[in-house]
Amino acid sequence: MNFSETLKLAISSITAHKLRSFLTLLGMIIGMTAFMLILSLLLGFHGYVNEKVAGIGSNAFTVQRFNFEDFKDTDTIAAAQRRNKELSFDELDFIKQRAQLIEYIGARSGGVGRSIRVGSNSIQNVRINGVEPVIAAIDKIDIQQGRYFTETENNSAMRVAFVGADIAKNLFPQGNALENEIKISGIPYRIIGIQVAKGTVFGQPQDNFIQLPIKTFGANFGGLRWNRAPNFAVTAKDGVKMDDVVDEVRTLLRIKRKLGADEKDNFGIITPDAISGMIGSMTVVFSTVILIVPGIALIVGAIVIMNIMLVAVTERTKEIGIRKSLGARQADILRQFLFESGLLSAIGGIIGLTIAYTAGYLITIYVFPTSIPWYAAVLAIGVSGGVGILAGLFPAWKAAALDPIEALRAD
Amino acid sequence: MENSNTEDGPNASSAGTAMAKEESLILMKNIWKTYQMGVEELHALRDVSFQVEKGDYLAIIGPSGSGKSTLMNLIGCLDSPSKGTYLINGHLVSEMTDDELARIRNKEIGFVFQTFNLLARATALHNVELPLIYAGVRASERHDRATAALESVELGDRTLHRPNELSGGQRQRVAIARALINNPSILLADEPTGALDSKTSVEIMALFEKLHAAGNTIIVVTHEHEVAERAHRVITIRDGQIEKDERIK
Repeated sequence: MNFSETLKLAISSITAHKLRSFLTLLGMIIGMTAFMLILSLLLGFHGYVNEKVAGIGSNAFTVQRFNFEDFKDTDTIAAAQRRNKELSFDELDFIKQRAQLIEYIGARSGGVGRSIRVGSNSIQNVRINGVEPVIAAIDKIDIQQGRYFTETENNSAMRVAFVGADIAKNLFPQGNALENEIKISGIPYRIIGIQVAKGTVFGQPQDNFIQLPIKTFGANFGGLRWNRAPNFAVTAKDGVKMDDVVDEVRTLLRIKRKLGADEKDNFGIITPDAISGMIGSMTVVFSTVILIVPGIALIVGAIVIMNIMLVAVTERTKEIGIRKSLGARQADILRQFLFESGLLSAIGGIIGLTIAYTAGYLITIYVFPTSIPWYAAVLAIGVSGGVGILAGLFPAWKAAALDPIEALRAD
Repeated sequence: MENSNTEDGPNASSAGTAMAKEESLILMKNIWKTYQMGVEELHALRDVSFQVEKGDYLAIIGPSGSGKSTLMNLIGCLDSPSKGTYLINGHLVSEMTDDELARIRNKEIGFVFQTFNLLARATALHNVELPLIYAGVRASERHDRATAALESVELGDRTLHRPNELSGGQRQRVAIARALINNPSILLADEPTGALDSKTSVEIMALFEKLHAAGNTIIVVTHEHEVAERAHRVITIRDGQIEKDERIK
């Protein structure tokens, strides 16, 4: 008995009892829907984090005072605070002059939070930091109005500001923010540029900031020390692997800091991959646990299928006997029932997948990005079919092993 | 008892000795079928031997419990003997595995059952196609052959009817068409008229005679003498042994 015959037979058996088949499938549908929906949320979350937080896809990385590992516990934090010096402009120049593989390198200070008021409008907790003009190229900043800083403005510590869209919109509702003045801690700055609105990431507004030239920032906010110390943003040249650039920068900084061959780095280099990996390692346990629940639903679905297949075998004992008397081999009978349970389950999987996909599509539009990659969809159908075959194994074996004489005698 | 068995054996097979043994369609030699009932052994068949030649029309009769059903199951390769040799069309059935037996059932045996044993959900055509499906025949050829087979039993206009839309006689004719579809060596009928009224029974028996005349080998297992009398040779089974083996035509 060939494939298409077996398939036809399975379809006709499933459609012969539509309500029963549907109820049997319900477990698999619910399980698969839940599983794929949660998976799509997790994958969507992961993709979102990679893009928005880790900056996967950009070719930029950061050199900073501390590494991720330094935050493991209080001892490592204390050790790192003793050992790791703040980054300096000396070191920036050292790298800039010697590096072959970097496209841009620029300093960016740590930030401070301030409330800003203009007339009757005010915004709380505005993030203010200092940057070198080259940051515009490194961060690929989109300018809605005006321009970014010039080297001259930075070198002479001019009081100019580049602001996020919320600052311009909320403090200057008439739309006249450009060339206007804002006061931070009593010092006035002229707004020379406004960034294109970026919205929010995880509910955190991205347009609520003020950037100043880093030297202006250093001069007016108590120097580039402690939490205001600079870190370096670096981009790789086109066609150069980020790992190679990271190696080059690390080597240069180690030379500059005169670290011996067996000494650990006393600075940190944070790449998008490292951020993504860190978030991934934090979420993997959570993801596994959250997928166990719909996984259990899938197992229950499989048990329902096994149960209904056992019923089907008992119910169709006579049919099995007839088929055997006409020349069906054990393998034919086995295949018939395995096909039926596998197909039944795969149909449930496809329906569940479709529902999950539709729901995911709506969620993406209205709430949060979700994603079901094609391989997960194929895997889902494969897994549901496989689960069905597994669930059908025992009933099918029972059917195949029936004695034809006994089976023919059944009612 | 044991002694009379050995005497009956050669006598029983004497009816078929006209032809050489190798050419017999069915050759059963010293067949035993024993069931284990707890600690007791139940001998359903005791040292049964006989031959059936190609083109014969044989009836096996006997009261219930005589072992004739067991014998039919053995002839039909639904079961294997506990002891003895069984050859069908040159195949040594008594040594076969389950799957080999299935193949023999498919190729060599055409079953006709008392209760028809059609698949209720399938059309007459599909029922007739079943043996061809297990023989691996292509769909278009199956369809043509099954249609022709139904036409030959005068059901050409009922091919797409389901069993519950057919009368008893029509169902049995579907079953006969199914039995013959694979050109089996033997048409093996188990109480073929048991579930039919007398008028329909006569029709079915007439059909059997027609099939016999066309060259088919027919074995009918029955307890009805009217049915047995239609055959050319009658074997009577009693207590698991061949009591009588006579040619009546």
